[in-house]
Amino acid sequence: MQVTSARDGASLTQLVMKQQEREHRNFQIKVVISWIALFALLLFLFSGFRLGDLKTIQLDGSFMSEWAPFIAEGVVVTLEICFISIFFASILALLAALGRLSHVAPLYALATFYVSLIRGTPLLLQIFFWFLALPQLGIVLPGMVAGVIALSLNYGAYMSEIFRAGIQGVSKGQREAALALGMTQGQTMRRIVLPQAFRFVVPPVGNEFIAMLKDSSLVSATGFVQDILWRAQKVGRANFHTLEALLIAAAWYWALTLIFSAIQSRLEKRLSRGDR
Amino acid sequence: MSIIRVSHLDKLFGRLHVLKDVSLAVEPQEVVCIIGRSGSGKSTLLRCINFLEQPTHGVIEVDGLVVNVAQHRLTDQQKQTIHQIRLCTGMVFQEFNLFPHLSVLDNLIEAPLTVKGTPRDQATALAEKYLDKVGLMSKRNEFPARLSGGQKQRVAIARALTMEPKVMLFDEPTSALDPELIGEVLDVMKDLAKEGMTMVVVTHEMGFASEVSNRAIFMDQGELVEEGPPHKVLANPSDPRTRQFLERVL
Repeated sequence: MQVTSARDGASLTQLVMKQQEREHRNFQIKVVISWIALFALLLFLFSGFRLGDLKTIQLDGSFMSEWAPFIAEGVVVTLEICFISIFFASILALLAALGRLSHVAPLYALATFYVSLIRGTPLLLQIFFWFLALPQLGIVLPGMVAGVIALSLNYGAYMSEIFRAGIQGVSKGQREAALALGMTQGQTMRRIVLPQAFRFVVPPVGNEFIAMLKDSSLVSATGFVQDILWRAQKVGRANFHTLEALLIAAAWYWALTLIFSAIQSRLEKRLSRGDR
Repeated sequence: MSIIRVSHLDKLFGRLHVLKDVSLAVEPQEVVCIIGRSGSGKSTLLRCINFLEQPTHGVIEVDGLVVNVAQHRLTDQQKQTIHQIRLCTGMVFQEFNLFPHLSVLDNLIEAPLTVKGTPRDQATALAEKYLDKVGLMSKRNEFPARLSGGQKQRVAIARALTMEPKVMLFDEPTSALDPELIGEVLDVMKDLAKEGMTMVVVTHEMGFASEVSNRAIFMDQGELVEEGPPHKVLANPSDPRTRQFLERVL
């Protein structure tokens, strides 16, 4: 009696699980189809198709094919800015996080002051500061350098919270075990806490990188960094084809975002699989 | 001469008086079990010995190293002494606290390498000796996540031993384990005791306490209520509080 009811229970849960799985798959298929439809609609809007009085936007194909390679060269510049900036931003974020966790008042103050100052002012203003304001003091930075400094400092401040949470996410017992073994505070942080915090930190830093891909376009406002947006604006304005040029730029930013989001989600999966 | 001497120890967490004028001496090769209900201060007492918890007031002496805590701020000299104390005390935690990002072997050699500057081959040899002792040589290259609770705790014991401490502190080493895994950890601890390791064990394992320890201590509300040979304290306690506690757990 008990055996049969147990078996019935098992098959029932199996049935429910199968049904849930099927529903989930159905939902996903519908999402994909809708995406394709929406994308087709978007393309249609720019297709130049005419239906009586209704007409969609007409793009200049020859302009696009002529200048697309020029704009594409900006991808390298954009990626270069972002990779260098995320690197320095991570270092700054780590230092700011350690400052935030410090019991030494001046260090704590320095970290919070930095974060507050950066978060309290617009990124575009910060970029202009490094590029346009410093020359008044006799310091002339190339656009690229000014852009990287501005992005690094800006993202470093925002990312300090990620690093702080990552460090605090490592359990107190880990620190105690290291201290009990005779390790110093510094050794404990370097050898035990930070390597574990790194795991928590990588996925959100990936998110920040993806956001930076787009924010880096602000650097083009200096006029001296030939990234995607700068190139699009230049050829668009010169030929009165800003619409086409910006669409190409938008396509690149979107594509980069999709690519790095895919990489990031893979990385996240691999890290979460790790040895907990 | 006592290897551990705790004199007039007080510990306050805010207004909570967790340890009240506790004094205790442990002789070399002695196995002392501390029992009592949760919140009695027994873990705090243990953690004060290696300063994972800083006493509010009192004197801690381990292997001739003395720290007299009279004020909250420790001097650099005292911090140095605490470091020395930690080097000669090994600690085993309830939650194992193995380093999850390091393999079993790397867990063991981490402290010898970074703290003592032991050459890697020597540290590895030492680590293997203790892994063998706890019967986990085969798990040398595994990561902690792949071990059972009992195996984790045995690795944690081996990790502490690899620093070759003079005293081992155990903070409820079997409390986080499934009942069927407790035995393997207790066996390792019994072997250690037989070899003459000085051990202070905070535990709920009355069997272990009566079988292995030389002395049992009962604590209640931050006070050391009763101490003596385990057969006396556990079987025939003189204090009513001890009797009440034992009636409840046995």
